Amino acid sequence: MATMGAGMMTEKKNLWEFSTRQVVYGAIGAALYGVLSWVTNFVPLPAAGNVTFRPAVAVLVFFGVAYGPWVGFLAGLFGNILGDAISGFGFYWNWSLGNGLMGLIAGMAFGMADFRKTANIVRAVIWSVIGIVVGMLFASLTEMITSGIDLNTALVGYFTPAFLGNLVVTVILLPILMIAFAGVAAGRGR
Amino acid sequence: MLVTWKYRPRDTFLQRLDPRARILYLACVTLAVTVSQVWDFRLLLPVCLISLALYFTGRLPWKDVRRAWTLILLFITLILGLNALLSGRGGPMAVLDEAQQTIIYQSGALVVPVTGWALRLTLTVERVWFAAAQMVRILSMVALAIPIPYTIDPSMYGVTFRRMGLPDKAAQTIDLAFRFVPTLGRDFALTMDAQRARGYELEQLRVGPIERLRRLAPLIVPVVMSAIVSGEDVVDAMDLRAFGTRPRTWLRAGWLRFRPADYALLGLGVALMVGFVTISLMGYGDFWVPEFMYRLFQ
Repeated sequence: MATMGAGMMTEKKNLWEFSTRQVVYGAIGAALYGVLSWVTNFVPLPAAGNVTFRPAVAVLVFFGVAYGPWVGFLAGLFGNILGDAISGFGFYWNWSLGNGLMGLIAGMAFGMADFRKTANIVRAVIWSVIGIVVGMLFASLTEMITSGIDLNTALVGYFTPAFLGNLVVTVILLPILMIAFAGVAAGRGR
Repeated sequence: MLVTWKYRPRDTFLQRLDPRARILYLACVTLAVTVSQVWDFRLLLPVCLISLALYFTGRLPWKDVRRAWTLILLFITLILGLNALLSGRGGPMAVLDEAQQTIIYQSGALVVPVTGWALRLTLTVERVWFAAAQMVRILSMVALAIPIPYTIDPSMYGVTFRRMGLPDKAAQTIDLAFRFVPTLGRDFALTMDAQRARGYELEQLRVGPIERLRRLAPLIVPVVMSAIVSGEDVVDAMDLRAFGTRPRTWLRAGWLRFRPADYALLGLGVALMVGFVTISLMGYGDFWVPEFMYRLFQ
């Protein structure tokens, strides 16, 4: 337990480190992302128009913020494959890669000492939102190549609903997860 | 709430294929139909039929896949309908002049205030046939993608990707993730019950969407935090066993073996890819509309 959060309060953090910790937390992030995506199919969730809110996205960007870009990338990439496997939807490389990019870019906020500070929470939310934009743009624009749709349809049909839903979820749930994580870390004596 | 995998062992042709051959064939088909930009329905249809034939060799019960097919087909139809109505463009249609198209239906102009833009919904024979070509193209990939969760053993994903060249650590991440799923599914169920026992309510809420999302926190936070805390034990256990110091071995690596059918599938995939790109380079495979479509709407 002594090194939880990659030495959360003390050690200098290496953004691109890829060791056992990244493997394990990438796997936990992916499993949580996949399971939560599946579980929330059974919980009544708010939806506006064709925008559905996927709370799992907040967990994904949180893993990026807390454990770095590799963990965010692996959690998004494999979490999406896993979620599709549990739900039985199939295997869609471009959406999995888009989710991976979302987690990777959120991971650029990695290295903050105190998750309770407003400035740090804002920084994490900003990186996560950039991640959502890039990840969902990647997935939506690759649909132009695979489905042969035009830019308008890709933006209206795919990007906008995905972006808006993920944005709302991240802004609401990411700060809650960060503060809870800071509490857990502090409770462990770091 | 038990997480159950969609996978069931079935002695079918599709399931006997090496998972690597199937994923590589899916990649070949994706590249063949996308990179080449071949939009000739007569060329796309055989690829789609091969995918569907492979799909049916899996002999998946309809009740298992009904939900996936319904949702995916509904979504694709909505997107293609939107594309046809919004602009009808994308692919080869981008260069097709609307003035040369045969109009089936055109709505009155809707003028956008301030900008003065006139929006008009137009449906043409070319747009409808383009949507049909898009559907066939997407189906040729979807028919290969949908059976994957039903026919590939979850414990084989890690070693499959490892044998396809993914680094050991990344492959181990997949393997671990699949192993964590049942535990985390159980944790969610336990947390949900525990919170309900404390009066936690999610179904009968009369609050807005934002507040509803906030109320998910008592469910999500405990599960995520306990997973993080227990993850430390896994890190320690793996480090103590010298994980990552040398290439690991995989228990089920022996299960992966290319047989003649796998080579045939892979050969077919490569042939399709090379064939489609060659056809495109030779200047064939452009968008084509059958004569009967024009006669139908004249």
